[in-house]
Amino acid sequence: MMRRDLVILAVLAAAALALPYVASEFVVSLALSCLMYAALASSWASFCGSTRYLSLATAAFFGIGAYTSALTLGTLPWLAAIGLGAAIAAAVAVVMGAAVLHLRGTYFAVLTFGMTELIRHSIAYFEKQVTGTVGRVLTVVPERDTIYLTVLGLAVAAVLAAIFIRPSRFGLAMAGIGADEQRAETLGVDTRVVKIAGFAFTAAFAGAVGAAMSVRWTYIDPATVFNPFIGFQTVLIALIGGAATLWGPLLAAVVFSLLAETLRLQMPQVYMMSLGLLLILSVLYLPGGLASIRWRRA
Amino acid sequence: MNRHPLVEARALTVRFGGLTAVDAVSAAFAPGELVGIIGPNGAGKTTFFNALSGVVAPTSGELFALGEPLAGAAPHRFAEHGIARTFQTPRVFASLSVAANVGFGLRFAGRRRPVPALLRDEASILALLGLEAQAALPAAAITPSQQRLLEIGMALATRPRVLLLDEVAAGLVEREIEAIARLAHRLRDELDLTVIWIEHAVTTLLRQVERVIVLHEGRKIADGTPAEVMRNPEVVEAYLGDEMAEPA
Repeated sequence: MMRRDLVILAVLAAAALALPYVASEFVVSLALSCLMYAALASSWASFCGSTRYLSLATAAFFGIGAYTSALTLGTLPWLAAIGLGAAIAAAVAVVMGAAVLHLRGTYFAVLTFGMTELIRHSIAYFEKQVTGTVGRVLTVVPERDTIYLTVLGLAVAAVLAAIFIRPSRFGLAMAGIGADEQRAETLGVDTRVVKIAGFAFTAAFAGAVGAAMSVRWTYIDPATVFNPFIGFQTVLIALIGGAATLWGPLLAAVVFSLLAETLRLQMPQVYMMSLGLLLILSVLYLPGGLASIRWRRA
Repeated sequence: MNRHPLVEARALTVRFGGLTAVDAVSAAFAPGELVGIIGPNGAGKTTFFNALSGVVAPTSGELFALGEPLAGAAPHRFAEHGIARTFQTPRVFASLSVAANVGFGLRFAGRRRPVPALLRDEASILALLGLEAQAALPAAAITPSQQRLLEIGMALATRPRVLLLDEVAAGLVEREIEAIARLAHRLRDELDLTVIWIEHAVTTLLRQVERVIVLHEGRKIADGTPAEVMRNPEVVEAYLGDEMAEPA
């Protein structure tokens, strides 16, 4: 099972690696968007899918990563800036998680959303009052292929981590929390530590992706990089693909990025409507997500 | 050997708002004891277990495992100290296999505890319960009485010193209850395990245990051998009444 998953991942990664050499500028940019959401949704599902703690804070960590690289790229090398973005996002997640991870369900979801907004407005306020700017211009921008390879690396790392976490003690502990948190506790799982670690893991990926993607915009401001839509879309992709499955988030990330690129520019409302409709349909008729279809047929 | 009792509650009290579910209960349990806890509905039996296993934090009073204070600690700390429990309604991991349900405890609390041969791995625990044939089935697919056995197996996988059984016999037929009682005796005899057993069906339980604690409205009103407890006038008046008047 694990060997099969690793082979599939290797084949997909090789195909994605070859893409910039053969495909057009537009296709590569489309693929970059696919990879971004594959990394976000897969890492989100590793924690949120298995524990069923629905976090809406992806945009917070993405934005933190984006700001980190915007502020440090002049002085730090590319990969160091991305690593720092991941580290700061994870550190924020540890603090945020310690404060809200004892809450479940709607309360947890709403609070993570509230904290995202709090971070966004705090940064906007700080920039305006203290540094006297409304946004940041990115002057040091790496080559297109560097960005592509980095985000590809993050997407592969996210799926690879998911493959190895699932059968591990950490993965089992998270699955136990999702199935019956109190039962898992009485069997010896330190649920507090596991939840905070899982949340920080998710945040580190979102931070790294944000740090890598920020350079695609030459100018960033809090409204762009802390856009709640990044968080919502991550959640929707993971849920529609199947948050508890390994390949579901990746599959849905590709489908949705293609859908987004083809529809969003011409018919943005149609795109949002189809997203909403698919979510409703999948929650009602396919609670396991797109990736669960084959199991039903068997 | 440690001179402390295995588990000890001192003036343990649990309040929910205005309701005192457990009222200043003190009790100590020694290794290898087979103890029954009885009391009418609402007597505080399950809440007492919840406190003993860390699932609810006591409002006041103290809890010790081998002399170490545990009141207010998270449930996983109780499991690490060798206190395992079952739940009244089986709470098995429905999507995992029967063997994986047992494996869960082995990989967490059980990992840091001494390994007796009876509780060596999934197979030996399932053999103890007679669930070998179901090992590969998902836990959702086995019968309710098998799920009750699996509950016990999940608790045993933490390799405990103390096993808290919460109404494991409810809804089972006499033959199945006898099997669980034999298992309890065997675990006590071979592993020196302390078994504390709550049961609503009093007559069933009194035949199986050597010591009985009676709870009534949250308070402990009796603690002794089944014969002593049955003679206790407060117990007869408060709870047993006509049930004990019937020939056992």
